[in-house]
Amino acid sequence: MTQPMTQGFLSKNPSVLIFLGLLALFTLTVTVLSNAYGLDLVSTSMVKTLGKTLCLCLIALAMDLVWGYMGILSLGHFAFFGLGGYMIGMWLMVARSRDIVLASANGLPMTPQELNDAIAAQIFGVVGASEMPAIWALAGSLPAQLALVVLVPGLLALGFGWLAFRSRVTGVYLSILTQAMTLALALYLYQNDSGLRGNNGLSGLQNIPGLDWAGQDRLSVWFLWASALALGLGYLACAFTVSGKFGSVMRAIRDDEARVRFLGYPVEGYKLFVFTLTALIAAVAGALYYPQAGIINPAEVAPIASIYLAVWVAIGGRGRLWGAVIGAAFVSIVSTWFTGGRAPDLPLGFYTVKWVDWWQVLLGLSFVLVTLFAPKGLSGLVDGLAGLRPPQRRGAALGPDEGALLEKEARE
Amino acid sequence: MRSLLLALVASLALALPAAAQDAAPPVAAASVQTGLAAVIAQNAAAIAKPSRQSIGPVIAALGQAGTGAPAFLQAWADKKLGARKADGAIFRVTKTADGYALADPATGADRGTAAKAEIAEIKPNAGVRGMIASALIQFQLSDPDPKQRLAALTTLARDGAAEHLAPLAASIEIETDPAIKAQKERLAGLLTIRFGATPVARVAAIEGFGADLGLDFRAALNPILASARRVFDAAPSGNVAAILTPGKPGFPEAEAYDLLVDQGLAPKRLSPADLRAALEAHLENGAVGGVPLADLSDPAQRETAYAALEAAGKVPAAATSAEVTAAVAAHRFADVYAEPDPTVTAAAKAALQSVSLKVGAMQGADLTLDALSLASIYFLAAIGLAITFGVMRVINMAHGEFITMGAYTGYVVQQFISDYTISIAVALPLAFAVTFAAGVAMERLVIRHLARRPLETLLATFGISIALQQLFKNIFGTQARPLTAPEWLDGAWVMNDIVAISYIRIAIFALACLFLGLFLVVMKRTRLGVEVRAVTQNPSMAASMGINPDRITMLTFGLGSGIAGIAGVAIGLFAKVTSELGADYIVQSFMTVVVGGVGNIWGTLAGATLVGGLQKGIEALNPANTLAAQTWMILFIIIFIQFRPRGIIALRGRAAGD
Repeated sequence: MTQPMTQGFLSKNPSVLIFLGLLALFTLTVTVLSNAYGLDLVSTSMVKTLGKTLCLCLIALAMDLVWGYMGILSLGHFAFFGLGGYMIGMWLMVARSRDIVLASANGLPMTPQELNDAIAAQIFGVVGASEMPAIWALAGSLPAQLALVVLVPGLLALGFGWLAFRSRVTGVYLSILTQAMTLALALYLYQNDSGLRGNNGLSGLQNIPGLDWAGQDRLSVWFLWASALALGLGYLACAFTVSGKFGSVMRAIRDDEARVRFLGYPVEGYKLFVFTLTALIAAVAGALYYPQAGIINPAEVAPIASIYLAVWVAIGGRGRLWGAVIGAAFVSIVSTWFTGGRAPDLPLGFYTVKWVDWWQVLLGLSFVLVTLFAPKGLSGLVDGLAGLRPPQRRGAALGPDEGALLEKEARE
Repeated sequence: MRSLLLALVASLALALPAAAQDAAPPVAAASVQTGLAAVIAQNAAAIAKPSRQSIGPVIAALGQAGTGAPAFLQAWADKKLGARKADGAIFRVTKTADGYALADPATGADRGTAAKAEIAEIKPNAGVRGMIASALIQFQLSDPDPKQRLAALTTLARDGAAEHLAPLAASIEIETDPAIKAQKERLAGLLTIRFGATPVARVAAIEGFGADLGLDFRAALNPILASARRVFDAAPSGNVAAILTPGKPGFPEAEAYDLLVDQGLAPKRLSPADLRAALEAHLENGAVGGVPLADLSDPAQRETAYAALEAAGKVPAAATSAEVTAAVAAHRFADVYAEPDPTVTAAAKAALQSVSLKVGAMQGADLTLDALSLASIYFLAAIGLAITFGVMRVINMAHGEFITMGAYTGYVVQQFISDYTISIAVALPLAFAVTFAAGVAMERLVIRHLARRPLETLLATFGISIALQQLFKNIFGTQARPLTAPEWLDGAWVMNDIVAISYIRIAIFALACLFLGLFLVVMKRTRLGVEVRAVTQNPSMAASMGINPDRITMLTFGLGSGIAGIAGVAIGLFAKVTSELGADYIVQSFMTVVVGGVGNIWGTLAGATLVGGLQKGIEALNPANTLAAQTWMILFIIIFIQFRPRGIIALRGRAAGD
C-alpha cells in the first residue's frame, strides 16, 4: 500500500480549494470596489444584485446535489427557498412594525395586548385584517424565527419526501408531483386569509431592525459577505457529501436505482436525506436572498421559478458542483443584463430585435440546444480547455433497445 | 320630533279622505261636477304641489273616483298636468308653439288654450310618481293590452303591497291569456303569503306552493321567518322562535350583556380603549390613581388605577364582571319572530324546510353538471398529453403552448372569416393541422434525439415552452384576444332557478365525448391503432414485426399535439385567449394524466372526472375561495398518489414496462 489511506478530503478534491479561493477573491474585490468600504466603483444596487446572485448559486448547488448527483429532478425547490424567505420576512416585518408602533406611541405605555394589536394592524392593514394569525406566534423572536427558517422547509421536505419516496414515485412522476407541491404552496400563499398577506407578500424586508444606523450601502456589503460565507460553507458541505462513499451511492442511485436496492442499500433513506438536506440549503439561501431583494410574494414560489432553477443547473453543467454555480451566476446575470434593457437592440433591417422581448425566446432555444448538444453545459467548455474528451460513442444504434451497441463501438 | 312628525302625517292621512267624503255632497249639489272632477277640484292644491308624505290619501281617493281616473293618474305621472295660476284649476296640458292647449282633467275634453305665463306645469317628484304608478297598477292589471298587464305584474312582483291584493285577485277572473293568468295566480299567492287578511288564508297560500323552487317564493317566506333578539324581564312573550340561554354556544354572555346595554337595561362595560382614555385623562405627576405611569403596561395595574379613580369619584362606575353576570341572569332572552301569528311561521318554516331539501338536491345536480363540464375540459386538455406520455413516456411541457397555439389559430381565422359559425368550423381542423405540424416538427428536431432520457426531454420541451410563450407575446401582445363563439352557443340551458349550464359547456362536453369515441375507434379499429399499441407495449418487438417505431412515435406525437390544438379552440371560446392560456391548464392536465394512469384512455377519463369533480366539490364547500379549492385538490392528489402510484387504471404485467 503505497497510497496512504488517510488522504485528506481537500487534497482529493482540489477543485474545492480553487472554488473557495475564487469566491474569497470575488468577495474581496467587490468589497474593495464597493461604495461603503472602498473605491465607490460598484453601486449599492449592484452589490445587492451580486449578493442575490450568490444566494441563487447556493440554491443551484442544492439543485445540483439532488438532480445532478441523485437523479431526482425536483421542480419544487423554490418552494423551500420561498419558505425560508417568508420565515425570516415574518420576523423582519414584526420587528420593524414594533419599532414603528413604539416610535409613534404616546400617553400610557402599551400593554402587551395593545402592542400586539397595533403591530397586527400595521402589518395586516393591506389585507383588511387586524388580528395576528396563529402562524405568527413566534414571529417576534429572532432565534425562534431563525429556527423556523430551517424547520418549516425541512419538515415539509421530510414529509413530502417520505410520502413520495416510500411509494416509489420516480422519474417524471416525481417531477410532476414536486411541481404540484410548489403550485399548491403558491396558491395557498396567494389567499388573503392564509395569514401571510396574500398577493401583497411581505415587503420592506431590506430595512433590518436595529441596524438603521448602518445604511443600505453597508448592509448590502454585509449581506454579500453573509451570502458568500453561506455559499462557501454550502459548497464544502455538498462537496463533502458527494466525495465519499455516500456520494458513490448517490451516483449509483442516479444511474440504476434498482441495482442499488438489490445490493442492500436503503435507497429511500438516501433519497430522503439528500432531498431534505437540499431543502435546508435552499431555505438558508432564501433567508439570505429576500432581505436583499426587499420583498417576497407568492409569485416567487410559482412552479416556473423552480423550473428556471433546473435551467440554470442544466446550462451550467449537472453532476459537478461548480458547474451549477457557474450556470446560476451566468444565466441570472446575463438575464438581468438582457431584461434590464441594457443590451443593445439588434437591427435586422426588416425588424429590430428588442432583447427585452426576445431574451426569453433566446433563453428557451439555447436551453434546448444545450440539452441536445451539450449535456454537460458550460462546464463542458472547461473540460474542453483541460483536454478531457468523452469517448466517441456516436452513430446509430444497432438495435432498438436501450443500451444497444452503437455503430462505431461495434467497429472497434 | 320625529314621532311628532309621524303623528302629524298619520292624522292628516286619516283626515283627508274623510274630508273628501264629507265635502263631496255639497260641491256636487252646487255644480255639475261629480266623481273624478269633484275629487280633482277638491284636492287641486294638493295635486299641484304633491309631497310624498301627504299625497297618499289623495291618490287613493283619485283611484276610487271612477271613470277617467287611470288616464288622469297617468297624465299626472307623465308630468302632463298644469294648474291655472289665476284660480288653481287643474288641466291636462299640451305644449304648443305659443302656450298650452288645455283639456279637461277628468274627461279629456278640449278646454281651449292658455298663454305660457298663465299655467304652472305640475311636476311630481320621483317618490310621488312611484306612488301614482302603484295606484295605477290596479287599472293596468285589467288593461286590454297584454304588455301593459305584464308590466304591471313585473312592478307588483318587485314591490307589491297589501292594497294590490284585492285588485289582483279580481283581475284573475277576467284574464284571458293563460300564461298571464298563471303568473297572476302565482303573484296573488305570493302576495297572500305576505299580506293575506287571515292567518288561515296565508297558511293555505304557503301550502299551495308546496316545495316550489322559485326564488320569489323563498323571498316571500324569508321575511316571515325573520326574527330579532329580545330581552324579557319574565317569561318571553310573543311568537317565540327560540329561547336563548346565555353562555351556550352561539349566544355568549357578552352578547347577552350587549343586548341589555342596547336596551338601556344595564350600564356599559368599560372597553380597553375607554379604560386607556380615562386613565390618560387623569394622568397627574407621572402617575394615575397612585400607580406610576411606567407600571401601566400591565393590565392588572390599570384596573387598580381605575378602581382608585372610581373610589375618588373621578370616573363613572363601570360594570364589573360580577355585575354583568347578575344582570344577565336577571333577564330572559329569546329570538322573537316579527310575524305575530305562530301558525303562519310554522307553515313557513315547514315549507322552507321542504324547499331547502329540494334546493339541496338541485344544487347537487347543478354541481354535478359543473363538475362534468370541468372534467370534459380537463379531458380535452389532457388527452393529447396522455397519448404522448403513454406511447413515448415523455412529458411534453410545451403541451400548454400547443393549446394556446390552437386558440390563437382560432383567433386568426376569425380575423379572416367574419361568420362565427363558419370560422369555428374552419378553425377546428386548421388548429389541428397547425399543432399537428408543430408537434411533428418538435418530435423530429428535439425529442427523437433525446430518446430514453425522459427527464431531459421534459427540460428540453420546457425550453420550447418558454420560447413559444414569449413568441406569442411578441406576436399577439399581452392583452387578451377575443375568440367569439357563434350566436347559437350563447346563453344557457336553464332548467329552473338553480340548475343551468351554458351551451358552450355542453358543446365542449359533446366535443370531449366525440374525441373519446374517435380515439377508441382509431385505437381499436385501425391499422395505426394496432401499431401504436404495439409500440406502446414493446418497441423492440414491434420493430421486429416490421413496424417502424420512429414513424409511429412521430405520428402519435403529432396526434396528441393536434388534439391539444382543438382543445385550445374549445377553451378559447370561454376563456381569455392570452399567451398564458395553456399554462393555466397544464398542471391540471398533468394531474389528470398522473391520477388517471398512463397508456389507457379510460384512465385519462377517470382522472379528468376525479380532478374536475374534486375541484368543483371542494369549491362548493367553500365557494368564496377557488384558490383554496385548488390547493386542497393538489394536496389530495399528492396523497392519492401514495396509494396508487401508477394512477387509477394502471397497466399490469409486461405492458407496464418497468
